[in-house]
Amino acid sequence: MTELLIFRGFADQMVTHCRACYPNEACGILAGTGNRVTRVYPMSNAEPTPVSYFMQPKEQLRVMKELRQEGLAMVAIFHSHPQSPAYPSVKDISLAFYPEALYVIVGLMNREAPAIKAYSIIDGVVKETLFEITL
Amino acid sequence: MAFAHTEGKRIMEFTEEQLQRYSRHIILPEVGGRGQAKIINAKVVIIGAGGLGCPVGYYLTAAGVGTIGLIDNDVVEISNLQRQIAHSVHTIGMLKVESAEKTFKALNPDVNIIAHKVRISKDNIIDIIKDYDIVVDGSDNFPTRYLVNDACVMAKKPLVSGAILKFEGQVTTIIPGEGHCYRCLFEEPPPAGLVPSCQEAGVLGVLTGVVGSLQATEVLKLILGKGEPLKNSLLVYDALKTIFRRVKVPKNPNCAVCGEKPTITELIDYNEGYCSLP
Repeated sequence: MTELLIFRGFADQMVTHCRACYPNEACGILAGTGNRVTRVYPMSNAEPTPVSYFMQPKEQLRVMKELRQEGLAMVAIFHSHPQSPAYPSVKDISLAFYPEALYVIVGLMNREAPAIKAYSIIDGVVKETLFEITL
Repeated sequence: MAFAHTEGKRIMEFTEEQLQRYSRHIILPEVGGRGQAKIINAKVVIIGAGGLGCPVGYYLTAAGVGTIGLIDNDVVEISNLQRQIAHSVHTIGMLKVESAEKTFKALNPDVNIIAHKVRISKDNIIDIIKDYDIVVDGSDNFPTRYLVNDACVMAKKPLVSGAILKFEGQVTTIIPGEGHCYRCLFEEPPPAGLVPSCQEAGVLGVLTGVVGSLQATEVLKLILGKGEPLKNSLLVYDALKTIFRRVKVPKNPNCAVCGEKPTITELIDYNEGYCSLP
């Protein structure tokens, strides 16, 4: 299975965080097992601008530790694009350090109906993955 | 009078009225007299006489499913009428199972409707579903969905599960011992606080018709043994984009309820904090 599966409630939680950080980029971690998201970690953006994000290192370490302790994986890293389409920027591609994780981008050009896309980014190669919301 | 046969053995007599009523089924090679006899002999129970339960029950009644059980303890309210098509202004305040029974009986008096005026729980579900061939989940809350899933796996009853919210719907068919179950998809329900309230989130009324009709179709395919049910699949419908997607859901050998070494062997009620039937 290649789709990223997420309950509607978790997807809404991610979008709520992205809207709350608008007009700056938001970021966070989608945790779970396999390709299934079972927990959302909204994270603080240490570089809060409309075109960049950088997770707070301490916060990120705390989440990674919690995931290890609970046997969960970092299924995806999400961030928002407040003013541009939900496609990885050159910077997103160059900073994609976790090939085992997917990268989810929440495009907020239409804040009422955000575009949510998921990608694998491995060695600079971007490939879209289906982002499937279940009820 | 006409007869349906299986392997040379007469299995059912059709009255003239039945032949006329079900003629559009009987002329289908995939159904025929034998298939219609299977439908008439089938026993299906529907959990929830609300948004999904109404169209599922309505179409299964029209199809001639011989015994239809309805489980619900709620009463009809005016806010239900935007989508719950078996009820009307004349049945407001009546128990939904009785209101639906009245409507279904008017459509097809031959169908035996059994009204279970109870809230489904871990204490009664196994006892109720044991008398039926197929279970339909028409609820829209996680406690019921997981309870019904687990009960069907334990009782080895095929389950056709549907869900709706806002402009989205989904359907899946769980055949215990053969395909995935709901816990293969997500082992645990999401935390109660994260789930949007059914009343608050809203739902486009006609979505119940789309998803309920898909569920009824799955039930008839299971009864007839025809086609490919949504086994190991989740059909997702996006009404705003008018898109259907079929997501593969492989059976998880380590699933807590249907896996090789199940860890869930007793039913669980996750009830507190979630919303009620749609």
